[in-house]
Amino acid sequence: MSDIPFKNPGWAGNTGEFNLSEEEVRGEDFVGTRPVHGGHASGAGTMPYMLAKKDPDGALFEGEYRERLDKILSRYPTGQAALLPALGLCQEIRGYVSPESMDAVAEVLDLSPAYVRGVATFYTMYNKRPVGKHLVQVCTNISCNLAGADEVVDAFLTYTDTELGQTSEDGNFTVIEAECLAACGFPTCVQINSRYFENVTPAEVPKICEHLKSERE
Amino acid sequence: MADMVNVTIDGNEVSVPKGTTVLEAAKTIGTEVPHYCYHPGMSSPAMCRLCLVEVEGAPKPMPGCVTTVMEGQVIHTQSDQALKNRRGVLEFYLVNHPLDCPICDMSGECNLQDYVHAEGREQGRGIEPKRVFGRDDFGGDVLFYGDRCVMCTRCVRFMSEVEQDHRLTVVERGNRSVIDTFFEEGLEGTHWHGNIVDICPVGALVSKDFLHKARAWDLAHTPSICDCSQGCNISLHTRDNLVQRIKPRENLDVNAWWLSDLCRMDYEWMNRGDRIEAPLDRSKGGSKVLGWKEALESILRATERSEGSVKAVASARASNEDLAAFKRLVKGLGGGEIVYRSPRIEKDIPLKGFPQLAVRRDRAPNTTGANIMGMIRVGDDSATGGLEDIAGHDGIVLVLGDALEDQPNTFGANAKLYVYVGQHESAATTSAHFVLPTTTKAEGEGTFTNYEGRVQRFWRALDPPGMARPAWLVLGALAAELGCGEVVRSAADSFAIMGVDAFAGITYADIGDRGTVINEIVLVTGV
Repeated sequence: MSDIPFKNPGWAGNTGEFNLSEEEVRGEDFVGTRPVHGGHASGAGTMPYMLAKKDPDGALFEGEYRERLDKILSRYPTGQAALLPALGLCQEIRGYVSPESMDAVAEVLDLSPAYVRGVATFYTMYNKRPVGKHLVQVCTNISCNLAGADEVVDAFLTYTDTELGQTSEDGNFTVIEAECLAACGFPTCVQINSRYFENVTPAEVPKICEHLKSERE
Repeated sequence: MADMVNVTIDGNEVSVPKGTTVLEAAKTIGTEVPHYCYHPGMSSPAMCRLCLVEVEGAPKPMPGCVTTVMEGQVIHTQSDQALKNRRGVLEFYLVNHPLDCPICDMSGECNLQDYVHAEGREQGRGIEPKRVFGRDDFGGDVLFYGDRCVMCTRCVRFMSEVEQDHRLTVVERGNRSVIDTFFEEGLEGTHWHGNIVDICPVGALVSKDFLHKARAWDLAHTPSICDCSQGCNISLHTRDNLVQRIKPRENLDVNAWWLSDLCRMDYEWMNRGDRIEAPLDRSKGGSKVLGWKEALESILRATERSEGSVKAVASARASNEDLAAFKRLVKGLGGGEIVYRSPRIEKDIPLKGFPQLAVRRDRAPNTTGANIMGMIRVGDDSATGGLEDIAGHDGIVLVLGDALEDQPNTFGANAKLYVYVGQHESAATTSAHFVLPTTTKAEGEGTFTNYEGRVQRFWRALDPPGMARPAWLVLGALAAELGCGEVVRSAADSFAIMGVDAFAGITYADIGDRGTVINEIVLVTGV
């Protein structure tokens, strides 16, 4: 039996209710860092992206993370097939997928580093550079765009005083554009780490950011 | 006999083996369906979308490179729909292409140029700015111009499937996709990466060695044979009587479409200017230029005066014809041992995806020919040493082709007659009584015998300097005067009278441009 406590698989809190705590939105078990052991093999590499303190120099496949990797490998016939979750694990540990991480993954999976780089760069959800504590992904696809997503992007950039893809000086925010987040009924949708903020208007942006900054570690 | 399938392509009924692709079937009626990603030596990902053809009954255009023919299929490669498909695809290829053809090395032999010229739109419609990558040094001999790339991934597949060293990959996605290595890793240390320049259908991958050196349309192409005992079929691309580059020539029995980097870069020796250009007589001190008739007569007179045994040094870079004529001459002078020296590398470097092809250990094109004719390999693996008893020999010393660069100027000083036949002078030719200029493989016709006993022809690509003549002509004439063999006037006749059993019954016509295996499989290891 799985010991993953899928108590509350829902994502979005009620629109604009930023007074809700993480616990209230997700249930207590989802708050904080992801369990390192990864739970059941089926979830070992695919658990939701959490607010976690990332260590850019963290050891990749040692100790409990080695067990996680073995769990992942147990689900796939070849090393090549396990590439995506293995890269995901790197990102979970270090917050991004560095060239060194790609090289390490290539080695444990017996693939060529160039191939791993090709895959890692193909998927936009692997961060190829370090990102802030809060990765702000603003949907600029069609529905959100019609509802003024560009202004929302600008508002985030103004508040954080960054350019797209840059990390703010305090290390809190990195703002990027995202393609459709599948919340077209609630434009503009913004995904911050694993949490969705829906019907966001430019005026709400400072409020959201202040709220995030005040959140506990 | 394989099952045959009957199909109609552009109104022509053809019968091809089951499993043949539309693209290959079209080739049998002489129609080339435009394509980028398809290459006969590799898998087809069907991603360039250029070989889309119209198949009657199919709901949409089919990619010709992966669609296998079916009985009774009616295929149109030149119909209005097919042409419209290609025109559309080609327009997309030009969206970000820089159109820098005037400074592109591929210009003149570029598939994008050719296809757009033949089937593209008369006018572009793009008004948007183009995305720009610039160029990237892949290491080795390869430069990458990302903007010219059509993302056919032939280079990626060559490295992963044929060389089997997955150094290249497609990085990023969408219109940001670009070919790259693993950051700074590069292609250094691989032995076959030059082939990705050949198979690149556009000017995205170019050779640093050939960069801006010559225009493709100024080059003359001459079929030839490469300089290791694999005997890869190559084409010498020449301009201004200089070899500008070497390209592989397709021959599925030997090297398919591939050529190693080592061989590809080994051409400057054919362009050397410091050649012996006239027959020289040094027997009376000084160095007197002779005409050919005079030179041969003088040598014959000298042989009559000179007594003592014959010791001879040949070269594994000489053709079968040259070696046979040399052997006849030695026989005419009373016979004697013939030795040769040739460089060797540590071991064969095979091409993993086509293992019958390797950079062979023997780095000379005709070691097998020399071995068949009973010549003995001496010296070390860098083709030096081994000539101690010849250097001081007091009889007749004959040298063919070997430049003797490691030998001192006392080489042959004790000889009663020392004749040097070759291309370059060195210290060791100082004591030669006669020096005769001969041609290189690029300047004459002839044959080499490769490691597996395949005899292959090469053709004349360059004009020889001064009075240089093929060695088979010069040595053959001398031998004929001494009663060994007859006088011949062509390389073909020279091959026919070689008198070596292994080649008996084979003619130049049999060899053609694909080569033929000789009568006996010989031991190729030499010494």
